[in-house]
Amino acid sequence: MLKRRRFLQAGSASLIAEMSGLLPTVISASAHGANTSGYRAMVCVFLFGGMDNHDTVIPFDTENYGSWERIRASLLSVQGGSRARDSLRQLAPAEDGFGGRQFALPPELNGLHGLFQSGQAAIVGNVGPLLQPTDASSFNAQTVRLPSRLFSHNDQQATWMSGAPEGARFGWAGLFADIMQRAGANVENTFAAITTGGADLLITGQQTTPYQVVGDTAVEPCILEDLSNPVLAMMTRHLRAQGFSGSSLLARDMATRSRQAIDANRRYNQSASAVGAGPGEFPASGLGQQLQAVATAISARDSLGVNRQIFTVGLGGFDTHSNQAKELPMLQQELDAAIVAFQASMQGMGLNEQVVLFTTSDFGRTLAINGDGTDHGWGGHHFVVGGGVRGQRIFGGLPPSTLGHSRDAGSGRLVPDVSVEQFAAPLGRWFGLDNAEIQATFPNLGAFDGELALFA
Amino acid sequence: MLDHICVTWRRQARRTIGASAISLLLTLTGCGGGGGGGDSAAMPLPAPTPSTGSAPITPDPAPAPAPDPDPDPNPMQPPVAGPPSNPSDPAPTTPAPAPGPAPSPAPAPNADRAAFATAQSTARFLTQATFGPTLAEINTLRGTEASGWFLRQLEVRPNYLLPVVDELMSLDDDDEGAPLAGEATTFGFWRSAIAGADQLRQRMAFALSELLVVSNGGGELLTDVPEAVAYYQDRLIEHALGNYRELLEDVTYAPAMGYYLTYMGSEKGDPATGRMPDENYARELMQLFTIGVVELNADGTVRLDTAGQPIETYDNSDVTGLARVFTGLDVDPEYFFADEAEGLPLGYAFPMAVYPERHSTREKAFLGTVIPQNTPAAQSITLALDHIFAHPNVAPFVARQLIQRLVSSNPTPAYTARVAAAFEAGRYRLPSGAQVGDGRRGDLAATAAAILFDTEARTLAGLEGGKIREPILRFTHWARAFQVRQVTPEYRDSLWDTSSPLDLGQHAYRAPSVFNFFRPGHIAQGSLTGERGLNAPELQIVNASSVPGYANFMLDFIFFDGEDIDVEELQAFFDEDGYPLDADRARDSFDADYSAEAALAAAPAELVDRLDLLLTYGTLTSGTRAQIVELLEQLPVDEPWQRVDVARFAIFMMMTSPDYLVQR
Repeated sequence: MLKRRRFLQAGSASLIAEMSGLLPTVISASAHGANTSGYRAMVCVFLFGGMDNHDTVIPFDTENYGSWERIRASLLSVQGGSRARDSLRQLAPAEDGFGGRQFALPPELNGLHGLFQSGQAAIVGNVGPLLQPTDASSFNAQTVRLPSRLFSHNDQQATWMSGAPEGARFGWAGLFADIMQRAGANVENTFAAITTGGADLLITGQQTTPYQVVGDTAVEPCILEDLSNPVLAMMTRHLRAQGFSGSSLLARDMATRSRQAIDANRRYNQSASAVGAGPGEFPASGLGQQLQAVATAISARDSLGVNRQIFTVGLGGFDTHSNQAKELPMLQQELDAAIVAFQASMQGMGLNEQVVLFTTSDFGRTLAINGDGTDHGWGGHHFVVGGGVRGQRIFGGLPPSTLGHSRDAGSGRLVPDVSVEQFAAPLGRWFGLDNAEIQATFPNLGAFDGELALFA
Repeated sequence: MLDHICVTWRRQARRTIGASAISLLLTLTGCGGGGGGGDSAAMPLPAPTPSTGSAPITPDPAPAPAPDPDPDPNPMQPPVAGPPSNPSDPAPTTPAPAPGPAPSPAPAPNADRAAFATAQSTARFLTQATFGPTLAEINTLRGTEASGWFLRQLEVRPNYLLPVVDELMSLDDDDEGAPLAGEATTFGFWRSAIAGADQLRQRMAFALSELLVVSNGGGELLTDVPEAVAYYQDRLIEHALGNYRELLEDVTYAPAMGYYLTYMGSEKGDPATGRMPDENYARELMQLFTIGVVELNADGTVRLDTAGQPIETYDNSDVTGLARVFTGLDVDPEYFFADEAEGLPLGYAFPMAVYPERHSTREKAFLGTVIPQNTPAAQSITLALDHIFAHPNVAPFVARQLIQRLVSSNPTPAYTARVAAAFEAGRYRLPSGAQVGDGRRGDLAATAAAILFDTEARTLAGLEGGKIREPILRFTHWARAFQVRQVTPEYRDSLWDTSSPLDLGQHAYRAPSVFNFFRPGHIAQGSLTGERGLNAPELQIVNASSVPGYANFMLDFIFFDGEDIDVEELQAFFDEDGYPLDADRARDSFDADYSAEAALAAAPAELVDRLDLLLTYGTLTSGTRAQIVELLEQLPVDEPWQRVDVARFAIFMMMTSPDYLVQR
């Protein structure tokens, strides 16, 4: 992928911009500066549909709360008391970077509030895809390069994960895994990137293919049970497609996938079953079960032969165009309970400082409402959780809860203060990448003013 | 989990491999799926022909299924080597003028004879055009004109889903409600796909359901009110061989789409509060249903500007402008207010009504057109759909995706252009000379004919051609090929929801999002197709869970034996949970007839030949064939049940082979 730039001419009606791209085609194979010591794992919780940033970090000072309350009146009237000012969980950051403005989390995120206050979690405000620093006036005047296909679900999911819209092939965390693989962090790469479904692009690299698990146990072919040789050996050969001699590329791809799946699942189960203590208690919710599977895989890290792991889990339903007042709080509760359980599990294993969890989403949402919901936005607010995180801090920006300010791209869609690169680069450094590897992974990082200091 | 999944297999394996026979109760609760079922006595549709059962039929004596030359047999025609086409990869494209008026598409020479010339070619055509060939069809159609079959299919009475909702609603068990009605779209789909006579229509409708996606997987209204998705899919079934513009009209007014893409109830903006019309449908209508995000040439390749860059079709101001069109629609008040309990669901089985006072009175500007202020809702919608539909992208955009669903993941640009031309012209001349289509742009019968009768479709795919069979189609193929005795999915709980990768990883009308189960432009990393930039949409749902999941799902059905069901216990379960079901009927439900295959158990090579025709239309590679035969030769064939098990092993191995998993 060549690095191409195309500046929009002022006055053009188009939003087209060729992405400069986060990702180079080739990262120099000689750049083996990565730190592979100790164990490190990153867990991405992808919130599909576009989480409403305006109902995640809520203004608490009376002026901004009043404005927020007015604009969202019809949502709040359905929601009842949970968004009343005295129901909110006020954030008390270690440092005041917002000139006395105050913020809170909704009561459904009570657990995350606790993690924030105890220094185990930080908030990154108004982060999203950018090609260069942008504000409302440069956005409206179209004097800046912009990411392609803003406000589109699949394209912005892909852009968050890879720097390019749908069709992108590598994600930045997958490139992290490639680098770690080349640096010898893992005995082998099969279990370096694990997904419980969705967001596979983020952890796909040139040498890294996501491994999918459902629940704690990998599935194996039932037919191999109770067969005895020679039939067992023949059936195993068949299911591994060992004898396939066709030339069709798709058929050969299917053969390879089949073989990889059978082999990986067998090894995964052998490793996972060798682990003694379980990962602890998790909620029965979909996200809770996914994070339990992650915790199980982390607990099996030694027998899986990995000391750098990347995970993605997903929670859908955040595309709250309608009925937001009822649906979003339930999602927030599920998110909150699952993350709290995961953090407790990591503490129980003594891995609190070696594992970091972060949320991402397609985009934020409009501050304005469309009746009983909100529409696609751009920048969003996210959580970074872990013992190594500089917690109790709010990084990035939290624009005022009004319309027409300098970061309002229209209807309260936020022009990001912080680019995805500025958010992702410190994660990569924490994971062990050196400066050259960070620069190679995020060639457009230099367009922005520094990285977030997420880690001490 | 594995204990659960493998329970059926254990029973069977011990019997087959020689351990003492263990009879395990097969309860519906034991299989990890939904719950009960529905009285199928009242079901008019699922009457699969009482299975052939009788004399074993030899696999097409005429042009014998050619023992294939290694590595790639090619019993039909030489593969066409063409450059891959890939709209998401702008590299090989060049700027091209907008498409002109469509030339009259010419049929492939001799396509009729080529299509149904042999048993193998007949099976292959039916693989693309239906939910799977049956031996009876192959034998009936071989040597006839494929054009005739196509024309007859246009006349078959459609099977719809709303009658299934009504039928299952009528099985109201006093106070218990109608416990099966919530599964009506699922049961209706399985019945029509497997036993419906309107195969071409149903296959096209299923393809359209993956393009114009709504889903009842959300656990909300669309799950609870089966009328909504049933009415919606009925519109796809109705127009599947009709006209795409008319389909778009019905889709726009369908409550299921209105709910799914949240414009049902969308109101005009309010400057005082900043409230904006809902933008969801406006965006996806353009991005996913009609024109896509970048301008296309008539052959589906990406059109480039003078700087060599793709040209985006719309920006957010177009979305905002178009969103005003889709304001003021909601469930028809006639039903909505009639009776909260009865009337609400009923309303979802009718088009949404216009509430004029909620419709935006402002000017609606998008895609270079302006609908003047104060234009009423219905007129605005007609104008908007007409304008979008007139975009030159629509034909190649829709054509390429329908080709991908029926024939090939990577049609050549020339193939896409020929199909798009039929869409544009609304007409296609079949090999027999008969005209299909009424001449109006967007004719889907003409489009389907152009897809199926094209030289590229009728030629066995080469290195880069073909497509991975969708898991749903693999299962329907099995059920049709082996003539299951009763298509009564209510009795097989694993068919209630096959979405999990531990089942089929796919369920009709239940995609995870409006972006379907997989994306048409998916390129699989770490794959041979990926290295060449080829699309492999279905590979997006092939992973370490779904590979063994599919094998186990099929194993469960292939090795099912109705005799193992404890009818009394099952009936007690039905009664306790209030399912109006008759446990006796569980025995025949999806119980396949392997008598013809079992008769060949002692001659594994012949058995595999027969399956090669039924399942892989004569393209099984020698390596796979040898492996299957070698294993089958190890199995005992002394007892009748052992011979049936040999057939089961053979079918299982065929259907898990790369040869089968990719349709070429």
